[in-house]
Amino acid sequence: MLTFLAKRLLVMIPTLFMISVLVFIVIQLPPGDFLTTYMNELKAQGEAVDPAKIAFLRAQYGLDEPLYMQYVHWAWGLLHGNLGFSFEYNMPVTDVVGDRLWLSMVLNFSTILFIYLVSFPIGIYSATRQYSWGDYGITLLGFLGLAMPNFLFALVLLYYANVVFGTSIGGLMDPEFINAGWSLPKIMSVIEHLWAPVLVIGTSGTASMIRRLRANLLDELGKQYVVTARAKGLSPMKVLFKYPLRMSLNPFIADIGNILPQVVSGSVLVSVVMSLPTTGPMLLSALQSQDMYLAGSFLMFLALLTVVGMFVSDLLLAWLDPRIRLQGSISE
Amino acid sequence: MTDILRIRDLEVEFITPHMRTKAVDKVSFRIGAQQTVALVGESGSGKTTISQAIMGILPRSARIAGGSIIFADPKKPGTRVDIAMLSANSAEMRAIRGGSISMIFQEPMSSLSPIHTVGDQICEAVRLHQKVGTREARDLAREMLELVGFPNTKSALRTYPFELSGGLRQRAMIAMALVCRPALLVADEPTTALDVTIQAQTLRLIKDLQKSLKMSVLLITHDLGVVANMADHMVVVYNGRVVESGKTDDIFINPGHAYTRSLLQAVPHFDMEPGERLKPLREIKPRIDGLLTLVDKFDRKMARLEQHATNGRHIDDEAVNGDDKRGGDSAIAQRHPDPDNAAIASAMESPKPRLSTGVRGEAVLAVSHLTKSFPVRKSGWFGMDERRIEAVCDVSLTVGRGECVGLVGESGCGKTTLSKLIMRAMAPDSGSILFRGESGQMTELVGLDEDRLAPYRKRIQFVFQDPFSSLNPRMTVQDLISEPMLIHGVGTSAYRRKMVLELMEVVGLDPRFLNRYPHSFSGGQRQRIGIARALCLRPDLLILDEPTSALDVSVQAQILNLLKDLQRDLNLTYLFISHNLAVIDYMADRIAVMCAGRIVESAPRASLFRSPAHPYTQALLNAVPYADLDHPLDFSKIIDGKCSDPAAWPAPFTVDRSVNPSMVQLAEDHFVRMTRPDYQEIAV
Repeated sequence: MLTFLAKRLLVMIPTLFMISVLVFIVIQLPPGDFLTTYMNELKAQGEAVDPAKIAFLRAQYGLDEPLYMQYVHWAWGLLHGNLGFSFEYNMPVTDVVGDRLWLSMVLNFSTILFIYLVSFPIGIYSATRQYSWGDYGITLLGFLGLAMPNFLFALVLLYYANVVFGTSIGGLMDPEFINAGWSLPKIMSVIEHLWAPVLVIGTSGTASMIRRLRANLLDELGKQYVVTARAKGLSPMKVLFKYPLRMSLNPFIADIGNILPQVVSGSVLVSVVMSLPTTGPMLLSALQSQDMYLAGSFLMFLALLTVVGMFVSDLLLAWLDPRIRLQGSISE
Repeated sequence: MTDILRIRDLEVEFITPHMRTKAVDKVSFRIGAQQTVALVGESGSGKTTISQAIMGILPRSARIAGGSIIFADPKKPGTRVDIAMLSANSAEMRAIRGGSISMIFQEPMSSLSPIHTVGDQICEAVRLHQKVGTREARDLAREMLELVGFPNTKSALRTYPFELSGGLRQRAMIAMALVCRPALLVADEPTTALDVTIQAQTLRLIKDLQKSLKMSVLLITHDLGVVANMADHMVVVYNGRVVESGKTDDIFINPGHAYTRSLLQAVPHFDMEPGERLKPLREIKPRIDGLLTLVDKFDRKMARLEQHATNGRHIDDEAVNGDDKRGGDSAIAQRHPDPDNAAIASAMESPKPRLSTGVRGEAVLAVSHLTKSFPVRKSGWFGMDERRIEAVCDVSLTVGRGECVGLVGESGCGKTTLSKLIMRAMAPDSGSILFRGESGQMTELVGLDEDRLAPYRKRIQFVFQDPFSSLNPRMTVQDLISEPMLIHGVGTSAYRRKMVLELMEVVGLDPRFLNRYPHSFSGGQRQRIGIARALCLRPDLLILDEPTSALDVSVQAQILNLLKDLQRDLNLTYLFISHNLAVIDYMADRIAVMCAGRIVESAPRASLFRSPAHPYTQALLNAVPYADLDHPLDFSKIIDGKCSDPAAWPAPFTVDRSVNPSMVQLAEDHFVRMTRPDYQEIAV
C-alpha cells in the first residue's frame, strides 16, 4: 500500500510538468503576445504608440527572451509560489486572483455537495422503485435539468427573482461588501447569495448523477450477492445499504478527478450571466488578451485540481474496494 | 418421521405488463426430517422459482398465487408456519430465512460480496439470528469454517472471496448458510459451477454436515448423477408441474413418466454399448445430401488429384521446411518419423483418387512440445517482479482425419489456451503445430504471418461454449452463418445463400428462421447456429470448446448426436474439449487428460477408462457422479485438497522444479507422463 502511495505521488510530478509545458505552449500558440494585442487596442482607439515604450515594456516583462527561457522563469516562479505578473491588471497574479479563487472554490464545493446530497437519495429511490410513477416523474425532471442550458436557467431565475420578489440574486454578496474585508456579515451575505448559482450550476450535474446512480444501482440490484444477502434474512434497507449501494459507489469515486475541473470550467457562462466574482470570467478575458501569466496560472490550477482529484479518488478506491487493494498481490 | 416442509398445490405467477405466466403450477411435495429431496428439472422448469418461494425471495414480478408451504421448525416443536401467507419482508419471515432455512447458490463467486471479508459476511448471518456479541459471533464463524474444512480459520475470516479458490468459496458459502444451524438447507445447483473433483468434495461435505447438524436438504439440480448419489427422494418437475416424485431408487429403476425416462436416457454414461445412442427429447435428423457434400467431395477429389501430380515435390518441400524451422529439434524429428509422411506415402500407393474426403486416419493436426506462458505481474518495492505462469507446457497431440480426440481437464488446466494456440489466436513460446492444409501437405503454423495463415484459418473452425455470447445479437441468422464465407471471400452471393440454406437443414433448423435474430432462439438452437457457422467453410478440423456445458441434458444429447452424425456423414475431424468425462467418453475415440498445462495421460477411450494410470486421471474418474444407483460415489476415495497440483502427485508422476517427466508409452497408444528412466521419450 505504501509503495502504491509513493508511486502514485511520484507519477504526479512528471504529469504536472508535462501539463505545465503544454499549457505554456498553448497560451503562446496564437500569434503575437500581450503587447501586440495591447498595441492594436491603442491603435484602434487612435492613440499613438511609442515604440520605445513598447520595447521597454517587452524587456521589462521578459517577452524578448526566447520561449524556453520564459518558460523556465515562469515554472521557477510557480515552484516558489510566485504566479507571475498580470499585464492587464498591472499587478501580481496572486493579487488579481485574490478572493476570486477562494470564492470559486467555495461555490464549486457547495455545488458538488449539493449534487451529492440531492442526487443520492433520489437516485436510490428511483432505482429501488424502477418504473413506478415516482421514478418516471424524477426521470422527466432529470431530463429537463439535463436538457436546459445552465445560463438559460440562470437568466430565467434572475428574471423571476426580480419580477416576483423584487430582488437581485446576481453576484455572490451584497454590493457593499465587494471591496470590504472579510467579516461575519460578509460571510453571511455570501451564504445568502450562494444558493442561486449552486442551484443553477448543480441542476444538470444532479440530473446526470441521478441517471448514473440509478443505472449503476439497477445493475448491482440484480446481482446474485444481493439475493444471498436477502436469503440471510437481512432487512431490505440493510441489504441495500451494505451491499449494492456500496458496490455502486465505485464509479462516483472514480469520477472525483473529473468532476472538479468540470464544475470549475462549466460555471464560466453562468458566472458571466450572474456576474459572479469567480475565476471563470477572468480566465476567459485573460485568454482573450493573452495575459499569459494570469491565464497560465488558472490553467495550472485546473490541472492541479484534476491531478489531485484523481489521486484522491484512487486512494479512496483502494481504501474502499479490496479488489483494487489486494488483487495485485494474489494473482500468483 | 415428521415432515419439516410440506408444499401443497403451490402456484407461482410472474406478472409482466403484458401477461401473466404460471411458472409453478400446483406443485406438492414434502421434505422429511434429515432427508435429502432432489428437485430435478431442466432450465425453465420452475425448480428455482419453487426454492425462491420457500425462501420468500421471489423476484418482484412474481407472486404466490395459491397453495401452501407449511414449515414445521424442529427447534420449536408444535409450531407450523405457512410461508406462503407470510409477507416476504416481515420480521417473522426474515427470522426463518437464514435462521431456520438457509440457501446456497450456484455461483460461489457472484453469490458472495467481493468487497466484504468472509468473516464479515458469516458473522453478519450469526448476529442476525442469534443474540451474541462480536467476539462470540467470530468464534462461531471460526468453528463453522473449521467444520467445512478451511485449513486456517483465523486468517480465513480476514480473506476476501476473490482470494479463495472456487472450492473454498463454495465452502465459505456453505459455512455462511449453516452457521445458524438451519433445519433445512436449500441448495440451488450447489456444484454445477465447480470442477468434478471439487464437486465430489463439496457433495461429501454437504452429506457429512447434514449428518452432524441433523438437517434436511432440498437439492435443486439438473444433474442426475448428483441426484443418484445424494437424494433419498426425488421430485421431477417439467414446465412448472411435478411429473413424478418418489424414492430415488424406485424412480431410477422404474421411471414412471415418459419425461423422467427420457431424462435418464439423455445422460451419457460410461457403460454404453458401442454404437449406442443417447435419446434426446427431440432428435434432429440432419439432411445431408446437397451442396455441402457434393461440392466437398468434388473439391477434395480435385485437391487429391492435384496432390498426386505434385506429391513428390511436397514431401521434399516439407523435409526442407521441417529442418529449417525446427533447427535443433531435427534430431527428435528423426527419431520419431512424422506419421503423416507415412500417410502420404500410403496415399501415393493407392492409384485411384478417393471419393471420401481425405484419407481416414492420416494426421490432420500434429502438435508437438507446445509451450505458452503468461507473465504475472507482482509489484514489489522496486519495480515489477515479473514471474511467468505456464498455461500450456510441453503439449503434444495428434488428431487424425475423421477422428474425434477428446481433451479433458478442469478449469484453468490450459485446455482453452491450447485451443487458442492451435487456432493461432495467440502465438506459442515454443513447439510446433503441423496442420494439413488444402493441398494435403503438413505445414508448420508456428511462425507464419497473418497473410500466410489466412488460408489455414479457413480449415480450422471453432464452436464456442456459450451460445448466448458467441452470436452477435444484431446479426440475422443468415448473416451469422454466411459471415465466415464473406470474410474469406468464398463463393458468389448465390452460392453463399444456397450454402446457408443447406446448413440450416443440416443442423435441423427451419430455413424460414433465416431472417430472425439470435435472441429468438433457445440455447440449443443457438448452439446449432454456431455449428452451422463453423461448418460453412467446410473445415478440416473443428475445435469444439465445451459445446454443451451451457445446455440442458436433453439438449446436450441432441447436440452430441447431431455432432456425431455430422462427423460420420461429412467425415469431420473434431478436437472436443470438455470437463465432462461422460460426454468425452460418448464422443471421443482417443482421450487426452490435461492438468496444470500438461497432458498427463492419453489413450484410446476404452483403455483410459478401464485402466487409468495417472493419479490425476484416477481422481477424476473417482469423482464423477454416475446417474446409476449401482455405481455410487466412493466418498472415501475422494481426497480433499487439490489433486490437480502436479507437485503433490506420488513419486513417478511428480512434476516440480527438479523433476520434469515426459510422456512414456504404457501400451499401444496409451501414454502417461511419468519418470521412467528405462523408457525413452516418445512423442504422442
